[in-house]
Amino acid sequence: MSDSSEIDNALVAKLGSDLVLLSLMPNGVYMDESPPGSTRFVIVSLLFAADEPVFGGRGYEDALYLVKAVALSTVGADMKAAAARIDVLLEDGDLVVPGYSHMAMFREERIRHTERDERDSSIRWYHRGGHYRVQQAVI
Amino acid sequence: MAIKTGRYGTIKWDPLGVTPVLLISLNTWKLSLKTDYEDVTCFGDTNKVYVPGMRDISGSLGGFWNSSNVAIFEATEADTPGKLELAPNSTEATFIFSGLAYLDADIDCSVSGAPKVTSSFKAAGPWVEAP
Repeated sequence: MSDSSEIDNALVAKLGSDLVLLSLMPNGVYMDESPPGSTRFVIVSLLFAADEPVFGGRGYEDALYLVKAVALSTVGADMKAAAARIDVLLEDGDLVVPGYSHMAMFREERIRHTERDERDSSIRWYHRGGHYRVQQAVI
Repeated sequence: MAIKTGRYGTIKWDPLGVTPVLLISLNTWKLSLKTDYEDVTCFGDTNKVYVPGMRDISGSLGGFWNSSNVAIFEATEADTPGKLELAPNSTEATFIFSGLAYLDADIDCSVSGAPKVTSSFKAAGPWVEAP
């Protein structure tokens, strides 16, 4: 039986096991939110997911993820390198997921913006990455 | 008898025309059983009158390309018809439409998703509706 959460886990694990990305974003890779105190990290969020049915069950799953490097403005993070590394890892990359056969993984759009901190308006957070589509066939 | 979902529909095919086996990665089928009617309206009739002719059996199949089962594409090269079996719901496996048929095939490949396969068929022998 395929478990859709395994796709999320595999994506986080792929990014989180890359030493180059971790050197740029040393706090790690997290689903949805990072631990308190993190200043340089990668966030993965599921934006959209659809199942494509076939007779007898699910044919493949089509998901869109937000994958972005996030860093505090004062820590001197190399956002350009971090976003580029994310793209190297994911664009047309492979993703091994138990219960699935990999179909495709690619970026649909890139994102880049600066966020003002809610509690201290003098602080800025940088966000850079993209929306990545991940398609996995059920086996 | 309750209405059943089409989610558990099945499509089976045997190129030799004997024992159909399941075709995988398909998600739609359509069967048309249309009879030709001859217009026999005569002087004095108060409305048009028809008599039935021969039933025409045809339809279509659809789903996704799966390289582990290319039977639909192989069928397009066949000189002899295979046996096609269509079931609306596998939980009522005895309710099937089947018969000899010729298949054709189309594949639609785009950058944004799985390649889609469609096929149309025409009867090549008597069809039966079971039970």
